[in-house]
Amino acid sequence: MGIMARIAGMFTGWRSNDGVTFSLLFKKFKSILERNNRILELMADMGDKLGGEYIFDSKYIEDACSQLDDQVFKLVSDMSVLTQSKNTALFLAFERVQHRLQEEMAGRRHVEGGPLVLPFKNIGIESEDEVGGKISQLGDLANRLHLQTPNGFAITTTAFFSFMSRNGLLELAQTGLDGWDGTDQGLHELSDLMQARIMDSPLPWRLVAQIDAMVDVLSADGHTPLRLALRSSAWGEDGDSSFAGQYATELNIPPARVVEAYKTVVASTYSIEAWRYRIDRGYRENEVAMAVGCQIMAESHVSGVLFTCTQNSGSACEAMVVSAAWGGGAAVVAGETATDTFFLSRTPPYRQIASSIARKTRMLTAAPRGDLVWQEVAEPLQGIPCLSDYQLAELARVGMSLERYYKRPQDVEWTFDGQGSLHILQSRPLRTGGDTGLSVPVQVATSKAEVIFAGKGLVAQRGVAMGKVVLVDHNTDLDQFPDGGILVSKYTSPRYARVMRRACGIITDVGSPTGHMATIAREQRVPALVNTEDATALLRNGDEITLDATQNVVYRGRIAELDRFERAEPDMFEESYEYRLLRRLLKHIVPLNLVDPHADDFRPQACRTYHDITRYIHEKAVETLVALSQRNDALHHAPTRRLVDGPPLGLTVIDAGGGASCDPRATTLGMDEITSVPLLAFLQGMTLSGMWDTSPVAVDIGSFMSSFTRTFTTSQAGPDKVGRNLAVALRDYMNVNMRLGYHYNTIDAYVSDQVNDNYIYFRFLGGVTELVRRSRRARFVAEVLDRFDFRIEVHGDLVVGRIKKLSAARMLVRMHMLGGLVGYARQLDARMSSDEQIAAHAQAFMEAIKSILPADARNTGENNDNPEHSGA
Amino acid sequence: MTTLSILVLDDEPIVCKRLKPAFQKAGYDVETFTDSAAALQRMTERPFHVIITDLKMEGADGFQVLERARKLLPQARIVVITGFATLDTAKESFRKGAFDFVAKPFKLGGIIECVRRLEKEITG
Repeated sequence: MGIMARIAGMFTGWRSNDGVTFSLLFKKFKSILERNNRILELMADMGDKLGGEYIFDSKYIEDACSQLDDQVFKLVSDMSVLTQSKNTALFLAFERVQHRLQEEMAGRRHVEGGPLVLPFKNIGIESEDEVGGKISQLGDLANRLHLQTPNGFAITTTAFFSFMSRNGLLELAQTGLDGWDGTDQGLHELSDLMQARIMDSPLPWRLVAQIDAMVDVLSADGHTPLRLALRSSAWGEDGDSSFAGQYATELNIPPARVVEAYKTVVASTYSIEAWRYRIDRGYRENEVAMAVGCQIMAESHVSGVLFTCTQNSGSACEAMVVSAAWGGGAAVVAGETATDTFFLSRTPPYRQIASSIARKTRMLTAAPRGDLVWQEVAEPLQGIPCLSDYQLAELARVGMSLERYYKRPQDVEWTFDGQGSLHILQSRPLRTGGDTGLSVPVQVATSKAEVIFAGKGLVAQRGVAMGKVVLVDHNTDLDQFPDGGILVSKYTSPRYARVMRRACGIITDVGSPTGHMATIAREQRVPALVNTEDATALLRNGDEITLDATQNVVYRGRIAELDRFERAEPDMFEESYEYRLLRRLLKHIVPLNLVDPHADDFRPQACRTYHDITRYIHEKAVETLVALSQRNDALHHAPTRRLVDGPPLGLTVIDAGGGASCDPRATTLGMDEITSVPLLAFLQGMTLSGMWDTSPVAVDIGSFMSSFTRTFTTSQAGPDKVGRNLAVALRDYMNVNMRLGYHYNTIDAYVSDQVNDNYIYFRFLGGVTELVRRSRRARFVAEVLDRFDFRIEVHGDLVVGRIKKLSAARMLVRMHMLGGLVGYARQLDARMSSDEQIAAHAQAFMEAIKSILPADARNTGENNDNPEHSGA
Repeated sequence: MTTLSILVLDDEPIVCKRLKPAFQKAGYDVETFTDSAAALQRMTERPFHVIITDLKMEGADGFQVLERARKLLPQARIVVITGFATLDTAKESFRKGAFDFVAKPFKLGGIIECVRRLEKEITG
């Protein structure tokens, strides 16, 4: 008999005032939990598709979205039954998101009503519609690759449309073009007219005010006198068609001239060259939008250009080439000055292969009142290399990380400031031409190579990596991880996020492509293969290998052809329309904005994504059920009993079927009478681990460990302190909601012989100390959950862990562990005074918990049955 | 040994764009088409060892391409890839001569594995 049927049987006698049976309400509650799982599962599946292992098409995207629409709609409907209300605000929230998704799929760009200005820190590659190609990419460099780029803000395409349409300029361009006679002279006149009208038109006052506010923020950062560079960033610029050099760049602009410089860049959209270029390529006027990036002017000591891959003159080998000169880079880009040239190896430590040092007599510098001026280079500097070996190596390292990320050789504009810090100004694909995938004899090369293993593992992020194996475990000092190494580890861990900028590939024995680490690998596009079972046994520290994480093969040695083949692929998956569409859709689906259920904005009106709606409903559904179950009449057929022994939780247990063996009339129950399999394991974990130590756990690990030897006592924690805690239990199921000390826990678990139905959902929130400490504790909890293969989300001090489809035995190991964890973490935040303690506490907990887990489960990565994390 | 030749037909360019380099990398000779008429035309010009084709259910003749390909190149092994994977479409595909039936989305490694199996059968 299924859960539903059994529960229905338990509650048949009861009716609410409105005539709805408790059994129906409980059924809706279960249905909400199940849909919640399904929705999170669908979200995870969609996210997975970005890794590159799957071939999917736009039909998949449509199907997945409509399934989500359907599930979320039904979730809201179930909620309406459970709460016996119309939930209009929730339905409206649902419709808002659904509408957004439909608009995205229809290809309609959302610029109306968007922000007029956006600080760089809020910009990523998905902001392309708002800030154009060039700036969205710069945002990516800073926010995803964590490279140093000059700070600033973008004046968006929304601002462009607002300015242009307010002054009738878009219309002018369109009618002008409609009446154009097709001659150069005619276009010239039109172009002059457009540019003059743009320069004469006033900006909307709201835009001026927002630009001024952004400029003020930049000056408040201590840049005085503030000088800005304004760069064009049009739709399509740096995309498939390169408008490189077509639009204006305004350098060294003082704050007072920003508006004028903005108009100059906008006017350049209609320069004769740019217009001609667009007409020749079939662009329509409605595809034109110009965003403008305003950046702090980098103070340039040495600047130039790096090509990450070029044929070293005279030999067939590939190398990087750097062109550099003193002062600002504009001169190097334009070829207006003599430059030093360096050829560097493409592999660490990026040895210098050849160089030629020019006589550099003049340089571009910023004039105090704006603009750039030529200046004489001091005599002693004229004939010496303008870059040190150290600077060259740094440049090479950054260049290679850009190439790995974009999977294309890059053309990088850079500058070193007076303090010797490297700033990246721009990076775009290097157009080499000729070297197409077909001509790379990759099959010849791979067929000769020794295969270390093949066909194992799951792709978390596709790609090819060549480098030396670096074996890593929980004790490895990740700060020592060598540049360009391939990280090989037994487990996946979000800790590895730290080395992803240096690692060129990742291989793990266990782990899931939907795990936290996989998500980060995808963000950083680091080729990653997980769940290979025994990579750590097959690979030795220092082995040179080539990882092909598209066909799941690891070769001995460096197979340069594979790498070259990948770089030469004409269409990159990450640049495809479907990839970008999926990413944009996920932006309306996955981000969680409703984090704290006690915050004022935890309400339907604030739901911006499907995840928000799902989260809101889950929270409210549990609340509703708890309220319902506390009404005596509701529980006439569902015995409510207080737990009298075991951990001092003040726990009330509702036995909804097979959860307890005591007398039906009993009002209390003991641990030995609990027959709910997951609940018993959870409570035992709490008790047996001895982690229920009511005096806050000491920070110093020595004294903390000694606290484990103390016997368990209930005297220190009265029920008044722990509040009212509730468990709904069936034989295979438990839903526990509790407030312990100052944090809130929800654990929802189903553990049976039906492996496919098994899941654990764990949520942890709150605390008494300031947010920093609470979030440290959250990271500690996440770290532990990660070691037990949970899929984790951490948002501030909220941790959500999920795991599913493990055998009952493995699920129970985790229920035990969670019992211990809840006890351990109970008041830990008061003691988390530094980040170092996160790892230390995680280590201490792992040591302590081992003693109560079955021997074969003591290695946390015990499961070879490939857990599929998601859902719940 | 001659190189195994593969024809891929799918009206979604993304599928062709991604399968082409993957098969090339595995050492196969690949041609891709997004238009079924052009693909069928190509089959009259040269043989292929393997045909990987989408099953379009929008039109009434979802199986027409499969049948035509079967007539044009009776020796070719046909693999059906489809976003409309039901028991019925699978049965019908096999009845019309498909060697394999793959539901979209599928893993790149899986389709290559599938072709490798066919290659073994073909070469002996």
